[in-house]
Amino acid sequence: MGNILRQPAELSFQSELDILKSEDTGPKPSNWQLSPQAVVTYLLGGKSPSGKEISAKYIGNRRLIETAVATLATDRALLLLGVPGTAKSWVSEHLSAAICGDSTQVIQCTAGTDENQIRYGWNYAQLLSKGPSKDALVPTPLYRAMESGTLCRLEELTRMGSDVQDTLITVLSEKMLPIPELNDAVFAERGFNVIATANNRDKGVNELSSALKRRFNVVVLPLPNDLNQELEIINQRVAEMGASLDIPVPKNAVEEIKKVVTIFRELRGGETLDGKITLKTPTGNLSTAEAIAVMVGGLSQANWFGGGSLSAEDISSNIVGAIVKDPVQDKVVLEEYLETVLKKRRDFADYYHNINEVL
Amino acid sequence: MAVAQNDIHYFGIRHHGPGSCQRLLSELETLKPAKILIEGPSDCSEDIQWLAKHGMTPPVALLAYNAEQSGSSLYYPFAEFSPEYQACLFALQRKLDVAFIDLPVAIQLAKPEPQAEESALDDSEATLEKSDQEPEAKSETEEPICSDNPLNESSEISKDPFSYLAELSGYEDGESWWNDFIEQNSDNQSLIFELIETIMTELRAHTEISDRDIQREAYMRLEIDKARKQTEGPIAVICGAWHVPALKEKHTLKANREILKSLPPKLTKSKVRSAWVPWTSPRLAVASGYGAGVKAPQWYQHLWRHRDNPQSLSLWLGKIAQTLREKGHIVSTASVIEAVRLYQALAVIRNKPNVGLEEVRDSVISSVCFGEELQWREIEQRLLLGNEVGSIPDDAPLIPLLEDLQKQQKALRLKPEALEKNLALDLRSSAGLTKSILLHRLTVLNVPWGKITDAGNSRGTFRERWILCWQPEFSVQLIENLVYGNTIELAANNKLIEAFNQENQLSQLANSVQLALEAQLNAAAEVGLKRIDEHATHTTDTLELLSSLSPLISIVRYGTARELSLHQIGELVERLMVQAAVSLPYSCRNLNQEEAIHYCRVINQAHQSILIAEFEQDLMSEWWSSLRDVMALDSADAQVRGLSARLLYVSEKIDADRLHILLQRMLSSSVEVSESAKFFEGFFDGVIDRLLFDTSLRKTVENWLIDLDEDVFVEFLPLFRRVFSQLDAMENRRFLDTVLNGKQNATRGTTPDLSLTDSWTEHFTAVSKLIRRDTKWTQNQ
Repeated sequence: MGNILRQPAELSFQSELDILKSEDTGPKPSNWQLSPQAVVTYLLGGKSPSGKEISAKYIGNRRLIETAVATLATDRALLLLGVPGTAKSWVSEHLSAAICGDSTQVIQCTAGTDENQIRYGWNYAQLLSKGPSKDALVPTPLYRAMESGTLCRLEELTRMGSDVQDTLITVLSEKMLPIPELNDAVFAERGFNVIATANNRDKGVNELSSALKRRFNVVVLPLPNDLNQELEIINQRVAEMGASLDIPVPKNAVEEIKKVVTIFRELRGGETLDGKITLKTPTGNLSTAEAIAVMVGGLSQANWFGGGSLSAEDISSNIVGAIVKDPVQDKVVLEEYLETVLKKRRDFADYYHNINEVL
Repeated sequence: MAVAQNDIHYFGIRHHGPGSCQRLLSELETLKPAKILIEGPSDCSEDIQWLAKHGMTPPVALLAYNAEQSGSSLYYPFAEFSPEYQACLFALQRKLDVAFIDLPVAIQLAKPEPQAEESALDDSEATLEKSDQEPEAKSETEEPICSDNPLNESSEISKDPFSYLAELSGYEDGESWWNDFIEQNSDNQSLIFELIETIMTELRAHTEISDRDIQREAYMRLEIDKARKQTEGPIAVICGAWHVPALKEKHTLKANREILKSLPPKLTKSKVRSAWVPWTSPRLAVASGYGAGVKAPQWYQHLWRHRDNPQSLSLWLGKIAQTLREKGHIVSTASVIEAVRLYQALAVIRNKPNVGLEEVRDSVISSVCFGEELQWREIEQRLLLGNEVGSIPDDAPLIPLLEDLQKQQKALRLKPEALEKNLALDLRSSAGLTKSILLHRLTVLNVPWGKITDAGNSRGTFRERWILCWQPEFSVQLIENLVYGNTIELAANNKLIEAFNQENQLSQLANSVQLALEAQLNAAAEVGLKRIDEHATHTTDTLELLSSLSPLISIVRYGTARELSLHQIGELVERLMVQAAVSLPYSCRNLNQEEAIHYCRVINQAHQSILIAEFEQDLMSEWWSSLRDVMALDSADAQVRGLSARLLYVSEKIDADRLHILLQRMLSSSVEVSESAKFFEGFFDGVIDRLLFDTSLRKTVENWLIDLDEDVFVEFLPLFRRVFSQLDAMENRRFLDTVLNGKQNATRGTTPDLSLTDSWTEHFTAVSKLIRRDTKWTQNQ
């Protein structure tokens, strides 16, 4: 472990993976480390066959994870869609960790990504001295995944240009990467597959062409649909992150998390939880991930600058930062929310005052 | 003559389960029973024979009702894949004895519960339990009604134990569970029913059995015993699996009778009627008042029809793809193939031996719908619920609503005819009024037998013109309303009340109240008025307020023949008018063109209504000042300003001088031409003929038009054309004459033609004779 800030999933959850692997009796698709059922158990948590506890990596609809794993088992590529902060990359990382034991074959797609970063690049020194040959190729994560029959993750697929996206079409349908320069091709080993994530809020960034889209099975990850589910997610992640950053999590954190989640859910949903008051919604999407970030920020502030216990004061500035993305519009929304809703709630009095101060 | 106890064979079935149905039939085939007893109301046994008649197509339902107390009725729906239906057919085709053995409807309907809600609950329970066809439906309907009832769980289990078990083992659909657990676990036919019995005995041991079930089971035991004594040969008893252990228990006659003592006395035979009614496939599934159905009747039907076809799943997927394509989605064959591969993989991951409804759905969403659940939802209803309508033989007994309609048709001498026919009604005569009320009520019930031709004006006059045209599907549509009541009046009232409770738009509410009054549905009208009252306070949308005004005002003005308290509406209208007047100046800013047109239409309409409403002076002044504010408000939409100015001017609330100043200002060159044009349109739209006789108005407009640059003028030509084309040919000529020859030749059009002087005198004499009613006058004179 040592000084590494954040270990990849297959290392931080190595013990769980080992347990599942040793006890797994189900049939495995070729080159998979675990059987599909064991992968589902790893993702959703539960008990290993011998009764050992496996923690939940994804809290939410079981159906979705089953569909995702089934997709990968059929050699069809998987596309995880969702608004920012719905654990797309998180699921993708854990899926690769569980299936091929390596979640690090990632291509982060950006507007600047070109074909060389998807297919292969050239080592120009080699190329000049020895001419075109396989030795002069610089493989990409995709190339390596095809050769080794493992998973390649493409993050934020829609961020890269459509022309670059379309290089994937042959790879996905024919499982083959042509190298026209050498009159050669890389044929994917069994077990190769692609997990892509994309954000469906920023529509039109570089919309997938329909030819490419239909080569994926798509799983849309939703925002948590009830308060308790979201609380569970945040409690768990805050505790985990607190531990990895060496920040103690005070006892009252659970209560505060509940309050923060309430504020987030109400603003996101455009109405109070009891459905009595309609609210304006801010421009940001206030995802669960942002709520986690707010809490971790608050914890760190409480730990280093506060008395160690978490107070509304520590959290408020983070809340404002998360909600007010547009300095004019969102401020009005938040002020209105403070005056019409929070002011009347006695247990939110701290938040009302502190947020007002920050504003 | 009697049959030995051990020659009675009990078949615990899953209501509406195609799998269970299939097993039952093959079992009956081997058993060759002499008599078949089915869980169903014992006094309706005679109705069974209809099922085999030509023209009887499921889904149908057996309806039993109390002829004297409207609103109390029970339904027993039968689908093609219902084991009970197939068992009846089996018996009828082989001419075997078949009978129902459950509590008679005469007892069930005898319950002393006039309250609407309670009866609805009972009905739903009865629908499901007795018919024993719709287990899932039952639980769905009951949930909202008695969710706080602790017994709820046990009653749900008893209605569909299989779905309950399925849920426990993580299945969404009882049928998949049946397939995976019951069918897979036994190859031996007869073992299956034993297996089911064992499961049920276990389940019953851990559940509280409701009193109702205990009574029903006791009754069934008595009936079985009776049948045993009269029959020779094996007897097959077909009932919900839940009841099998209880029916097999040994009870003395006395003990059984003891249990039944608590039942209410039977209704006399004359009061209870039963009839077959056509049912619809969505009704098998939707929780609609009486509760109904299975989750996905069409899926079950598919399973049943293709039960021997190994490719049944691919067919189903093909159907999904087709439905999606019909909705305009592009579904390639390749995607369908991917979906097949995915559902196979999913079934493996979920450890299921068979692919079920859920796997198909999840895979279709993921590979065909690109993860969009919405796309699936769009077709879900059509796919799973379908739109099939059953039919009953022509000579079958009639159902109450149709009976009611026929009675009224006879009384009013209105015959249903398929060809269009015009009907003019005089609402002052009681015959005319009754006819109008009937037609309106049918409209409420979604049976548009008559279409009113001058809709909207009906209250302004005592005449109504209808076009009558009867379509055969109307009987079915009428029958669908049975959920709301047994008579047309009752059903229409209840249906409208339901609609009121779901409607949140003020203007819609107002329109419906008007409809309720026209159809003389007072109960509904009162509910509607109450809803409007509640909503008026919370509505801030000016358009809503304005558009609710017209129907309400016409109720106040012309609806006084009704017994309803109109005082209440009067107050309501005043309040709405004031609210609208206050909010109008704020809301007509920043409108785009479409909105502006919409605003103008609504304001104009409301204005006309307000004028005839005869409000008090100070109320009217609110409205005038609101219009004045709009007119003077620079930030308001120009078109709405134009309209306001016109309305004020026409009602002489602003004088000509003021108007001209405004017109000149709005049409001056300093104002954006597009703004001026909008103002112009708002002002003159529909009343351009004003220009014919209002010289100064004309001059202002003329100056504005002349000042326009040519290209700007060309740009707005369509607008001018639209506005000026409202003049007819005659007016148009006069208008052109006045404009073109304005100064020197104003009288040109009326210069007398001297050559006509002679004939004019003649005409004059003839006309005066005519006026004096001189009958001797003829054309030739």
